[in-house]
Amino acid sequence: MTPNNKKTDYDVMIVGAGIAGMETAASLGDMGYKVLLVEKNSSIGGKAILLSKVFPTLDCASCIVTPKMSAAAHHPNIDPLVYTEVDSIVRNDDGTFAIDLHRKASYVDFDACTGCGQCEEACTVTVPDEYNYNLVTRRVAHIPFPQAVPKKAVIDRRGEAPCTFTCPGNVKASGYISLVRAGRYKEAFNLHLENAPLVGSLARACYAPCESDCTRCEKEETVHIRGIKRFMSDYYYDEHPEPEYGPVENQLKTKVAIVGSGPAGLSAAFYLARNGHQVTVFEAEKEAGGMLRTGIPAYRLPKDVVDRDIKNVTALGVEIKLNTRVQSVASLKEQGYDAIFVSTGASNERTLEIEGEDLDGVTGCMKFLREVNIGTAPSIKGKTVFVIGGGNSAMDPARSAIRMGAKKVIIQYRRGRDEMPAHDWEIDGAVEEGVELMLLSSPKRFIGKDGKLEAVECLKMKLGEPDESGRRRPEVVEGSEEIIPIDIAVLAIGLLPSTKEFTGEMTHKRGFLESDERTLQTKDPMLFAGGDSTTQPTMIINAIAQGRRAAFHMDLFLQEKPMDTPFDILLEKTDKSLVLDESKGFKGKDPVPQPTIPIAARKETFDCYEKVMTEEEARKEAHRCMNCGECSQCMECVSVCPAFCIDFTQRDQKLDFTVGAVVLSTGYEILDPSAKELLGYGRIPDVIDGPQMDRLLAPTRPYNSVLRPSDGKEPESIAIVLCNGSRDKTVCNPLCCRIGCMYSVKHAQLAMGALPMADVTIYYIDVRAFGKGYDEFYEQSKDMGVEYVKGKVARVTQLENGNMELHYEDMGSEGGLKKREHDLVVLTVGFLPNTEAFKLYKGSTNLEGDEFNYVKEIDPISEPGKTNIDGLFAAGAILGARDIPDTVLHSGAAAAQAATYLEKLETK
Amino acid sequence: MAQKRKIGVYVCHCGGNISDYVNVEEVVEGVKNEPGVEVAKTHMFSCSDAAQQLMIDEIKEKQLDGVVVASCSPKLHMFTFRGMSERAGLNPYQYVQVNLREQCSWAHTNDKIGATEKGINLVRAGIAKCILSHSLSAIRIETKPSALVIGAGISGMRAALSLADMGLAVHLIEKEDEVGGWALKTALMGPEAQNGPDIAEKLIARIKQHDNIMLYTGAELTEKSGNIGDFNVKVRLNDDSEVTLNIGAIIVTTGFDTYVPQDGEYGWGTDGVVELKDFRKMLNDGKLERNGKPIKDVVFIYCVGSRQKKTETCENPNSYCSRYCCTATTFTAKTLHALEEKTGQTVNQYHLYRDIRTYGKMETVYEEARNDGALFLRWDPENPPVVSQADGKLLVKVQDELDGNDEIEIGADLVVLSTGMRPRDNESLDDILKIPKSKDGFLNEIHIKLRPVETVIDGVFIAGTAQSPKTLAESVASSLAAVAKTGGLLKKGYVDLEPLIAKVYEDKCTWCDECLKACPYGAIEKNVCGDKEIAMVIGALCKGEGACVPVCPHDAIDIEGFRDDQIIAMIDASIKDIK
Repeated sequence: MTPNNKKTDYDVMIVGAGIAGMETAASLGDMGYKVLLVEKNSSIGGKAILLSKVFPTLDCASCIVTPKMSAAAHHPNIDPLVYTEVDSIVRNDDGTFAIDLHRKASYVDFDACTGCGQCEEACTVTVPDEYNYNLVTRRVAHIPFPQAVPKKAVIDRRGEAPCTFTCPGNVKASGYISLVRAGRYKEAFNLHLENAPLVGSLARACYAPCESDCTRCEKEETVHIRGIKRFMSDYYYDEHPEPEYGPVENQLKTKVAIVGSGPAGLSAAFYLARNGHQVTVFEAEKEAGGMLRTGIPAYRLPKDVVDRDIKNVTALGVEIKLNTRVQSVASLKEQGYDAIFVSTGASNERTLEIEGEDLDGVTGCMKFLREVNIGTAPSIKGKTVFVIGGGNSAMDPARSAIRMGAKKVIIQYRRGRDEMPAHDWEIDGAVEEGVELMLLSSPKRFIGKDGKLEAVECLKMKLGEPDESGRRRPEVVEGSEEIIPIDIAVLAIGLLPSTKEFTGEMTHKRGFLESDERTLQTKDPMLFAGGDSTTQPTMIINAIAQGRRAAFHMDLFLQEKPMDTPFDILLEKTDKSLVLDESKGFKGKDPVPQPTIPIAARKETFDCYEKVMTEEEARKEAHRCMNCGECSQCMECVSVCPAFCIDFTQRDQKLDFTVGAVVLSTGYEILDPSAKELLGYGRIPDVIDGPQMDRLLAPTRPYNSVLRPSDGKEPESIAIVLCNGSRDKTVCNPLCCRIGCMYSVKHAQLAMGALPMADVTIYYIDVRAFGKGYDEFYEQSKDMGVEYVKGKVARVTQLENGNMELHYEDMGSEGGLKKREHDLVVLTVGFLPNTEAFKLYKGSTNLEGDEFNYVKEIDPISEPGKTNIDGLFAAGAILGARDIPDTVLHSGAAAAQAATYLEKLETK
Repeated sequence: MAQKRKIGVYVCHCGGNISDYVNVEEVVEGVKNEPGVEVAKTHMFSCSDAAQQLMIDEIKEKQLDGVVVASCSPKLHMFTFRGMSERAGLNPYQYVQVNLREQCSWAHTNDKIGATEKGINLVRAGIAKCILSHSLSAIRIETKPSALVIGAGISGMRAALSLADMGLAVHLIEKEDEVGGWALKTALMGPEAQNGPDIAEKLIARIKQHDNIMLYTGAELTEKSGNIGDFNVKVRLNDDSEVTLNIGAIIVTTGFDTYVPQDGEYGWGTDGVVELKDFRKMLNDGKLERNGKPIKDVVFIYCVGSRQKKTETCENPNSYCSRYCCTATTFTAKTLHALEEKTGQTVNQYHLYRDIRTYGKMETVYEEARNDGALFLRWDPENPPVVSQADGKLLVKVQDELDGNDEIEIGADLVVLSTGMRPRDNESLDDILKIPKSKDGFLNEIHIKLRPVETVIDGVFIAGTAQSPKTLAESVASSLAAVAKTGGLLKKGYVDLEPLIAKVYEDKCTWCDECLKACPYGAIEKNVCGDKEIAMVIGALCKGEGACVPVCPHDAIDIEGFRDDQIIAMIDASIKDIK
């Protein structure tokens, strides 16, 4: 009886495991056919499993559906394949079908998951719970409902959050934000360590590219991600002056040398030491930290924070050799290091090559800042400081000079304000503090006396045609010379790498060390290079990212693993429009103002001018995050899962099969009543729809009682309004929904049981109680006291007391337009066709639909379930709205049809 | 039992259906120290896959040799938990279900303390029964690859064809001399607008050609014996000859009758008051005239013989909706309008209805009828329309609800009664098949959603309008659903029967033949055992219903699963003090 030919993998594929699919599968399985049951959700059961009870017998939906779920899941002839989408169905010439599927990434290993639900409890992101028709929320890591089959968790991820994706180090901003929101600060800090160890420094001095790509920017303004990080790191460092860990247990024998203790070197050291390598960092200065220490002024990055950040690295057993300038790679090799990472940074200043640059008083910005930072700078009190350059590195000396008591501080830039490469907030901060901008101006020469700087001669500039960078080229205005008396000139016009020690040992490219972009390995396999010494000077986070990248690949090299092992595995960046669409109709959330110290006070001190948010402010700000990626990758699920089954590297998996026949049972869509604007759905909180009412009445109900959503009050007067968007041409749906009347009668009966004091009124056009036992059920509801009003409700308005007023035409008794007040309104909605079905079949002939966009049954009387494609059958509501009994019968018919097709296929 | 039993007891919340009224934790407390209980706990939904898996794990881990689930009626989930037991390696007959829902929580919603106490007693009884349970195996019977279909209307014919296409031998019997049922007598049918005779004739042609189908007309079932998978039936043909058939399953598609109004009901009996089917014939003939005069005004009255309430004149009301009539009547309105257009003769249509039930896509038929100009007036069953005769015309008085209940008088040339379906009188067949009927008199399925074509008589399936009013398309769908179930039964080649049947204690039995006389299934035979005559049970025929047990003077016969020692132990356990 089973086609024994080897040309098919399964006799039948059934698409959609709701009532129709499960029933068809069980019937065919009983007949001995091998069935592949494909379901796009993570559980079989369809929509019926979410119902409260079912008419007319008032059996629990669970009692009806779980036996069918169990039968389908455990049938020896049925293989359920959940969380799987059908990509294509094509009929072959021999009457079989070629099927392409993909199993969606659930980020959970279903074979290992025990359905314990601990991930769900630990998860920090909530989204509307579609299984409760959005009456409540659920977690992103979730088991859809208690009776799920299989009972497995899935994690929703629609992409990488833009903040995380944009961050050069892929620091999981969305993750630590959701942890801060949940009050789990220590976990937030530890999550950050996974991508960058210098948390405190980044919290103060990162230029936060995440914030410029934040989806909130499209609404109010960015989530202040760095501010949240600042709170989190301050909180953690206050609680933990020392790291909570020591060297890792599994220490390896491999020795690694790192040249330079800037952010790249420290970061590489951290991740290498976490893998057990013996790491020594060589630093020429007397203190570690590189640019963090010497290049960034303390008002942005206090040096005790740098100290604490470095402890994160040294606690792992990393040795930092200070005052030790490495003279050559060869010398390190001689000392027995197995791998070397050169991260010497870029602190050599570019020069203008103009007259007077050698005068005393003309200095580079790095030199200037270094002296300020290590405390050897001469006094500039009362002096005029002239900073040349328009980048962020010009702002630092200028704003430092203000704090040092300079009389006047000028920033000179050859283009306009809009062209300045520095961040706006930096420029604004500088101007607020009293820095003067001298725009469209360029130095011609420095003028001095006795070798000491006294003035600068400047030229006016104008903007010409755009250059290769797209910016308009500055051109000299002839004869515009002007002499300005100054005391100090600071050149902030760019930096070059500090790599002269390695000339001859390593190849260079335009002055920078050369290494592979992906692995950071140089031509000498044991030698790696990264950070500013290989790239244009950039941001701290770039250097940290390079350090982690280097550590990853050095570890591969040292452990002799394949060098093409993938580094960070990311999803595509989330499509922001999805997130924004979802937030439509929600009120905006204004940002928590960033507390700063007043301008007057700022000028006096090198103390950090940004204040840290309070716990309350930080959590409030964290609530502004829109969870763009759905899952924030906070990793809490990973840490609690007892089965170790969570796997963020999981990806969609393609499958293909040949089957003898196909049954489509993809069901229906539920009509959205907000299409009927006057009825208030989506606008008035206590106007709910039928599916929501079903959830309120279900044994697994979200509020554990029938309560109205706005204020949790038990309703006293419930209106059930029939035919919303059904039999209604204004929403292009002339059809009767076939189930609305009956499920409303059920709602009325159940509501009267749950709330004995409540009045229930049903507004109807016709009460269509047509099935076996249905009219009796309807009559029974009348006997229970349900009031039936023949009349179409045209409008629902909200009264001042919060209740709703229904405006309707009374067609039954004395007639006329009437109004009546209720405190809960249920809009009964029906079905719409699920048009996805048409996209599944990709043969040369299209799958035919009827005039209402349901799949067309070619001969509804004599050939139930047959479509225009021979061998492709359809069962249940895919052909038109049906209730459960009719669906069950129709599915049996589809199974019989498929069976006879398979018989013919076999005898062919 | 000498050996100590290890029983697992699982009490179900049923998501609140039980635990809202029965304190399930107290029930666990009350039974956990019962003899033999190894583990006792609660589950939110015992039937859920996850809970089943937990029980399976526990049965294996603790090596349980008996399981009690206290949940819903065994009608619903006995097979679920037997399957669970089997997957855990436990004999399914060492599983006992306690009905804590239908027989306790739902029955005592007003007394939570009492319900909880009763719950403890019921579960204790279940445990006592479980202790005395032992391993049984199903009685496996080979099935015959052939089926009997009773009734050769569209549903029966279509079922026969599908069964035959699956490779099964089919015997199709029809009482009438002609096959095709109502469809053959009905012309254009809505909403599909197909011609009944065309549908019937196409099927008849296919049936006659099919090698696997034997068609018997003028044939009636006279006898049925045997059991699921292996029935013996006798069929009397119109020449009074009889054939005996050996078949594996039976599908009953005996259809419906139309309601015949009582004299005077909506003017029935008056000239010009006709049934819908007669009016449709008139339309099919294309003549819109009565007694030689053209018809100008037609009144349709809906719900005749449907949705009735008990009154003095109507003692056995058809309280159900007949489902097909609204669509049939509105479709007839369209047919009439089409004829109007064709002949140029104007006809006013008045439709007197209660609720128009053109569900689903059939709504478009109603809409088109309205658009064609048919008038719809709504009446309340308290004030039904009254049909009388005046001046050679019919006079219909109706209080239109949609018009402030004003009484409207319509002069009509024809009054068409939209009569409903009613169950067919098939007394002799009913006696043979013994299929229970539902309150409305139609044949009853086991469960409308779980097992809608199966009956309590194993191997006998129902479909079409024999089960309930349906449209033709729905009837055919249900008949193919019955085909699918029949296929599932017969294509496997065997069926496993319940071993919960009578067993004879050979040492006690003295063959007095009391059990033989009591058995309604002919499942007892005399057997010689050594030098002794004793009763023997024919396993395939015994239904385990137990009529033999009380009549036995020597307590020599018992029903497996319901043995006397088990029943006594259950009684003892359930009347103990709670504490």
